[in-house]
Amino acid sequence: MSLMLIALVIFAATYILIITEWINKMLAAMVGGFLIVLTGIVHQEVAFRAIDWNVIFFLIGMMMVISVLKDTGIFMYIAIKTAKLAKGYPLRIMMYMFLATAFISAFMGSVTSIMILVPIVLLIAHELKITPIPFIITMVIASNMGGAATMIGDPPNILIGSATSYTFMDFILNLTPPVLIITFSSLGLIWLLYRRAMRVTNQNRVKLMEFKETGLIKNKRKLIFGLVILVLMLTALALQSVINIGTATVAMTAGLAMMLMNNRKKVDKVLTQDIDWTTIFFFMGLFMIVESLVETGFISSLAQKVLELTNSEPKATSFAILWLSGLFSAIIDNVPFVAAMIPMLEHIGVVFKTNSLPASAMHPLWWSLALGTCLGGNGTLIGASANIVAAGIAQRNGFPISFKDFTKIGAIFTLNSMLISSLFIWLRYFS
Amino acid sequence: MLLSNFLDAKTIFFESRIRSREEIYHDMVSRICNHYPLPTCGTRLVDMILARDAESSTAYPTGIAMPHVRMDGFDDTLISICFLEHPLDYEGTPVYVIVLFITEKAASRLYLNIVAALLKLSKDEESMKILRQQKDGHSLIAAIKRFGITIKENLTISDIMETKPITIMPEQNLRELASLMNEHNQAFMPVVDERGRYLGEVDILCLLKVGVPDYLMMLDNLNFLSSYEPLENLFEQEDLLQVADIMRRDQDTLSPDASIIEASHEMIQKNKRFFAVVKNNHLYGIISAMDIFKKVIRA
Repeated sequence: MSLMLIALVIFAATYILIITEWINKMLAAMVGGFLIVLTGIVHQEVAFRAIDWNVIFFLIGMMMVISVLKDTGIFMYIAIKTAKLAKGYPLRIMMYMFLATAFISAFMGSVTSIMILVPIVLLIAHELKITPIPFIITMVIASNMGGAATMIGDPPNILIGSATSYTFMDFILNLTPPVLIITFSSLGLIWLLYRRAMRVTNQNRVKLMEFKETGLIKNKRKLIFGLVILVLMLTALALQSVINIGTATVAMTAGLAMMLMNNRKKVDKVLTQDIDWTTIFFFMGLFMIVESLVETGFISSLAQKVLELTNSEPKATSFAILWLSGLFSAIIDNVPFVAAMIPMLEHIGVVFKTNSLPASAMHPLWWSLALGTCLGGNGTLIGASANIVAAGIAQRNGFPISFKDFTKIGAIFTLNSMLISSLFIWLRYFS
Repeated sequence: MLLSNFLDAKTIFFESRIRSREEIYHDMVSRICNHYPLPTCGTRLVDMILARDAESSTAYPTGIAMPHVRMDGFDDTLISICFLEHPLDYEGTPVYVIVLFITEKAASRLYLNIVAALLKLSKDEESMKILRQQKDGHSLIAAIKRFGITIKENLTISDIMETKPITIMPEQNLRELASLMNEHNQAFMPVVDERGRYLGEVDILCLLKVGVPDYLMMLDNLNFLSSYEPLENLFEQEDLLQVADIMRRDQDTLSPDASIIEASHEMIQKNKRFFAVVKNNHLYGIISAMDIFKKVIRA
């Protein structure tokens, strides 16, 4: 019992540091992770075994893939092309960018797509002489939605995919449909909110049409090779249940293949700059800390409490998870939240089994967790990493986005997403 | 390096008799040749010294003469010193101390630096008086050692730096900075306070960056853009922004006694062609890669 208390104190202190960012996130996670070893709560062996290497190597592999693809200029090309397709009309640009952001996020991750697309939207807004803030906010929302659609789009889904036996295709079948509905209904919301807000002069609109996107693809061969590898990677992930190769191995194979196209100097740059080691070690620390809560039995008693409240009934439990994760993800970073929720759901799975419920009873719970955490991230400015990254870029360019500014818009879209998700969960699994 | 370490007591002597220049040179040469194997010795060496003397005077107004022979097939620096009780006349200059150098053929920086140290010493009458009172080489070397006279090992950047660089103060605005850069054709300027204390630096890229927003810097490639006017913003901000807003603080600086190789190393490693030369927070000058190229490599 006293061990559990120490574990909880370390866990809470670490999470507070992570959420408030008083010290570097990775440093906080690492200090917490080794503190649980040092205090003897978890033996080093056990703590290291808790690190999910499938997640770690998947992240490293994807970072290599993204780095090489980004280098080909394809994402900038898509962004500029999108703005030109919209003929420079702001509402159209906003909607097209919303779709482009969601699409890129679904495969490259939300933070990546924000880091590539927000600077371009700042440039576009500058040329059109309009404020970029509504564009940035809606793109952040799109990135979190797109990330929710696939197993590889958002860190919470990566964690869930790795902890469970769900394949890439399971994610497509269970998450992509609701996310598509949510995304298109969000376009309707954008139309309602912004249809009268933005006016641009013809003169400025023409400036945008002068952008020459063809020059952005510098090396066609490299691009084609990169896209072929990407398609092969997605195919391998889709066929995972047949070919039986782990997610991390697929991503690493693709990443390493991409790296082989690069010269020595580029490889060094990718390894030292583009692979975000801070994030990698942040994840490792998190796994270790959460393990201390599992080992001391805290997670299982928490699961017990939840089940008492929902009468161990799958439907009530699903909705509780959906809305609670939506709420929590809105106010804290969703990665540490999911890291703690996964062992709890695993425990609930064990309880369901002893209650002789079928294995399928767990499905809606996991999908609720995925939808709740990814979409809940849109609730406030600090709900997800993409939000914080975007706000940082905007701030540096003289467009501070306040917590209130973001939440006013974010809450509307989140509420819409959560309602559609609830409806989907109910219709798809319980009727 | 201590000057005393280059001296050998066996080649140092005090002469109380009245003798000719040639006799003294003979004495010096034989002392050197007794202890060191030289490719040329005896009368031939003395002739070489006299020939050198004939070219131009080796005496200095402080009463020291420093004849110098560069010798083929030799790779050392040997010194013999003779203190004269009765001065010798060197083309009108009375000489009390003769220092004979025998060095390698190539002009060595070491030789020049020893000459510089000895010249400086000869100007110090107090020290010279003490040296003259010594009786033999050992006590003379001990005295020089006590003075702690050092020989500059190599050039330092204080020898080649720009000692009066154009500087700017943090509260000056960008318009002033731009016109100073333009007027003096200077791409780099140290930022100092009114007491000359070093605060940081600005260069032409800091100024250009005002016109290129952060979001453009985040893009890998701008070749799709042909019409963006980067200077628009710069013109607007010229009077509003101060040097303090764009200057770089926490930059690496070099100390005035840093060696040329250290400066070159820093420039290459930090990919930076200008450095402020700073010691104890005080700005001493600036050094550029071009200074090293022109004043050392092409000197």
